[in-house]
Amino acid sequence: MSTQPENRDAGAWAQPVHRLTVSEGHINVSGRRPTAPMHGFGRMWQKTYRTSLAGTNLSPSEVITVWKEHFPEFWPAGNRFFAPLAGIAPGEVAALDLSMPGGLKLSTGVLVLYADEESFTLMTPEGHMFAGWITFSAFAEDGATWAQAQVLMRASDPLYELGMTFGGHRQEDAHWSHTLKALAEHLGASGEVSAETVCVDRKRQWSRVGNVWHNAGMRSALHMAGAPGRALKNAFRRHEV
Amino acid sequence: MQPTTLEANTRAVADGAVIDLRGEIDGSARDALTSAYDAAAGPGNLLLDFSQVDYINSTGIALIVGLLARARSDQRPVSARGLTEHYREIFEITRLSDFMTILAG
Repeated sequence: MSTQPENRDAGAWAQPVHRLTVSEGHINVSGRRPTAPMHGFGRMWQKTYRTSLAGTNLSPSEVITVWKEHFPEFWPAGNRFFAPLAGIAPGEVAALDLSMPGGLKLSTGVLVLYADEESFTLMTPEGHMFAGWITFSAFAEDGATWAQAQVLMRASDPLYELGMTFGGHRQEDAHWSHTLKALAEHLGASGEVSAETVCVDRKRQWSRVGNVWHNAGMRSALHMAGAPGRALKNAFRRHEV
Repeated sequence: MQPTTLEANTRAVADGAVIDLRGEIDGSARDALTSAYDAAAGPGNLLLDFSQVDYINSTGIALIVGLLARARSDQRPVSARGLTEHYREIFEITRLSDFMTILAG
């Protein structure tokens, strides 16, 4: 029996998980390993988006409660977050469908790595556009409560790195700015969003080129291309029965 | 127990430097970690001693990733010691353990 005292953060962290599992019907999630920012290919970025919730009189924990409960509702149209049945809680896995240029739907997921009263963190799996995590938090500063989304990421592979350079970063900025603005408006604040981007490591990790094998964008495109064939196959099966 | 801000003290050893960490690693630990790494400038191994750390949240883990990125850029091997079983598990799930040697004790 361990004699070590239980840490205050113990209940906030997910239990170790080597491979993610999600319900049937979602691709590019089950069997994938969660990835830290160091597992990606591209430059490492820290992006911080903030909005003031001045005038709402809500505490940081009240903001996070609302954010967890309504998380998918704040996303831009065309993007879907399939919230876990247990909600945003440590160790839960959510599937995502993200709208990409050219009408492509990119299917991937996230692991809830950490969740406490004033923050929660989502960690990406292999194949996601980036390796890393996104921390959503609320805090009191300058007499107001603020909501913040902070992304620590590396593009997962060379294709994503190229995509991030040519519009991907801008699309991501728009995604989280929209989310914070929608949250603020839901809570009765004006929703002005500031963004700060810092390059944590300019090096690209060429040893991670092989990550392209898991690329969820390519796999989603192949899955979409194969949809008519699958539908035909299912129709024949039904006919035989 | 009152929350304690992080103290990070750097000392030189024969094969590099040790950063002794004491308190809580959360968003407020940024300056302490940055200063400690700056003070550890130079070649050789970098050992992070977590034996006096009693709280790490996800923002704190992100700061440790930033420190690892700097060490990697400087081509310095990083190891950690003094992790409780709980924090070993956290280093496993965040996969930080892929990028540093976890020492016993």
